Amino acid sequence: MKRLLTIVRREYLERVRSKAFLLSTFLAPILVLGLTLVPSMLMERQRGKALRIAVVDATGALGSGVEEELRRQRVAGEPRFAVTPVAEDGAEAARLAARRGVVDGRLDGYLYLAPDALLTSKAEYFGKNVSNVMDLRLVEQSAESALMQHRLAREGLDGARVKAVTRKLDLRTVRLTASGEREDRGASFFLALMLLTLLYMTVPMWGAAIMNGVIEEKSNRVVEVIVSSIPTSYLFAGKLLGVGGAGLTQVSVWMLTMAAFGAYGAAAAGGMPMPELSPLLLGSFVVFFLLGYFLYGALYAGVGSAVNTQQEAQSLAFPVMMPLVLGFVFFPAVLGSPDSPFSVTLSLIPFFTPMLMFLRITAVTPPMWQIALSIVLTLATVIGVTWAASRVYRVGILMYGKRPTFPEMLRWIRESGG
Amino acid sequence: MSEEAIRLSGVNKAFSGHQAVQDLSLSVPRGVAFGLLGPNGAGKTTTLRMILNVLGPDSGAIEILGRPASQETRDRIGYMPEERGLYPRMVVEEQLLFFAEIKGVPRKEAARRLAPWLERLGLTAWRHRKLNELSKGMQQKAQFIATVLHEPEILILDEPLSGLDPVGVNVMRDVFVDLRRQGKTVVLSSHQMETVERLCDAIALIHRGRKVLDGPVSEVRSRHGKNTLVLSYEGDGAFLAGLPGVLKVNDFGRYVEIKMAEGADPQAILREAAARIRVSRFEVVEPSLHDIFVEQVTAGGEAAA
Repeated sequence: MKRLLTIVRREYLERVRSKAFLLSTFLAPILVLGLTLVPSMLMERQRGKALRIAVVDATGALGSGVEEELRRQRVAGEPRFAVTPVAEDGAEAARLAARRGVVDGRLDGYLYLAPDALLTSKAEYFGKNVSNVMDLRLVEQSAESALMQHRLAREGLDGARVKAVTRKLDLRTVRLTASGEREDRGASFFLALMLLTLLYMTVPMWGAAIMNGVIEEKSNRVVEVIVSSIPTSYLFAGKLLGVGGAGLTQVSVWMLTMAAFGAYGAAAAGGMPMPELSPLLLGSFVVFFLLGYFLYGALYAGVGSAVNTQQEAQSLAFPVMMPLVLGFVFFPAVLGSPDSPFSVTLSLIPFFTPMLMFLRITAVTPPMWQIALSIVLTLATVIGVTWAASRVYRVGILMYGKRPTFPEMLRWIRESGG
Repeated sequence: MSEEAIRLSGVNKAFSGHQAVQDLSLSVPRGVAFGLLGPNGAGKTTTLRMILNVLGPDSGAIEILGRPASQETRDRIGYMPEERGLYPRMVVEEQLLFFAEIKGVPRKEAARRLAPWLERLGLTAWRHRKLNELSKGMQQKAQFIATVLHEPEILILDEPLSGLDPVGVNVMRDVFVDLRRQGKTVVLSSHQMETVERLCDAIALIHRGRKVLDGPVSEVRSRHGKNTLVLSYEGDGAFLAGLPGVLKVNDFGRYVEIKMAEGADPQAILREAAARIRVSRFEVVEPSLHDIFVEQVTAGGEAAA
């Protein structure tokens, strides 16, 4: 038992000390968070400062109304615009002054209402930045609203009342779960996609790490020294556990970073709806990573033991990858209707479970019994696969020369070996 | 305490129909350097793996130091495989401790034993380097420390000299002499007859999974008689092959080796040769293991065919 720990320790330390591990473990979350945080932080900064805007009214009737509307626009509780009056007599002079203001940087932009704006319903906005769609939309709304009220007043109607009566519908989408409700505007979808991609990258990555370790030990005959010292099963189990431990360390760091981000980011992003980073979600990522890792890692170890070089491994590793690839093909269907019988069935098939059950958890919360059943089924499969792979392994690591065929490997599993 | 380090009795091992080892019985006394000889594919590696308890025999018994081969017995064996047997990218010290640990030596104890070894073989300055930063000769030394750090009573060296440069050969030879002095039992597997002849006290020759012959080297050689002549000369020696009593002439350029028929008189051959060419050296020698090996293997091959 102590010797098994020796193997686990070596495998773990070798992985964890490598530069690739340190890079991917600490850089990946920084990158992912950076990609998510920086744009929202930039937006935040921009949002904090109200846009200095002037209204140049050549109609002589709309100006004050538009200004009033603009002052009323709020984003995240803060006034969006600082309306700056242009102290010039005459529309043309005011226009030139506003223009200079924008060029000199005293203004962010100005809205120009041409003399015939009341008839044509046309307005022009001049600004340093004309690509901030959200702000422009607010300017447009303000002008439109003022224009509308002016026309209504001319028809003898009370603008404010009409506005109250025709108030637009604001659709709020709320994701309802057992743990409560939460506003969701598609962020969950992106989170699901991101986590699933992460799972798709890490499971084969750590599987391949085992495979390459096995091939390396075999090709420089270290394996012969080791199995002449300890039982082969110790080496196999020790490898699986040690490399798995390194993988677990990595995804744990990732998930904890994300949890921290979930807590901090929600505050940083202000009113921005954040994706739900619930403990259930982050926890199940770790669980399904481990299930996927042991399922595919054992297979990869078996493949690695049967070949002599990495090149040879490519062709044998492909069948191992197949269920992973298939799982990805089903991804849109499962995400589209996560609770359909089709999706439920697929997510209960052990080779798909790590990906598809996790995907379902991100989309809806499946019944607990389904999650539990999928974990039990996958665990049973892991035990079976590990058993078979360890038998291939114990024969494979001592065989050199021709790569064995699948029937030969099946025979290794059947025969008791020695 | 058993006088035998290793004993195999009637061991059989087959792999999916192929009989790798057949009815093999061997006895390696304690403190002896023992050579396991045989061409590639003779069953040497399979035999070693059974001694190391990596493989179990289909039938027959294997005893190590008087006990059936087991996890416990193999802790008392140090094994060095044919090629490198270390992790190229692992730090030397870390690596050597690892190999001692999987042999059941506690880490602290292994660290205590390691320091003098590193000092003695000049590796102290390199102990924090990765193995692949060391020269070939130094890697060989590290490999050796990995084999002996758990203080085994038996050492099994598989083709210890193959692929070594002269420096590596020297390292291994020193090591070998040292082990002999300590009274360790050393089993050396090789198809290089000269190596075995120089280093071993006793041998076993296996071919196609069967033991062809065994015994102390001197006994094996004398058992095969003094039937070989070595002759150096000037002139045309083509006639030698036609002399009565000469079976075969092997020309090595600077000298010839003459294989004589049973009962032939070396003096008669010398007289005949001296009369026709200038003989500068004449010697009756025992056959080399190489000759015995080739003879046995070809004979066995014919018998099997």
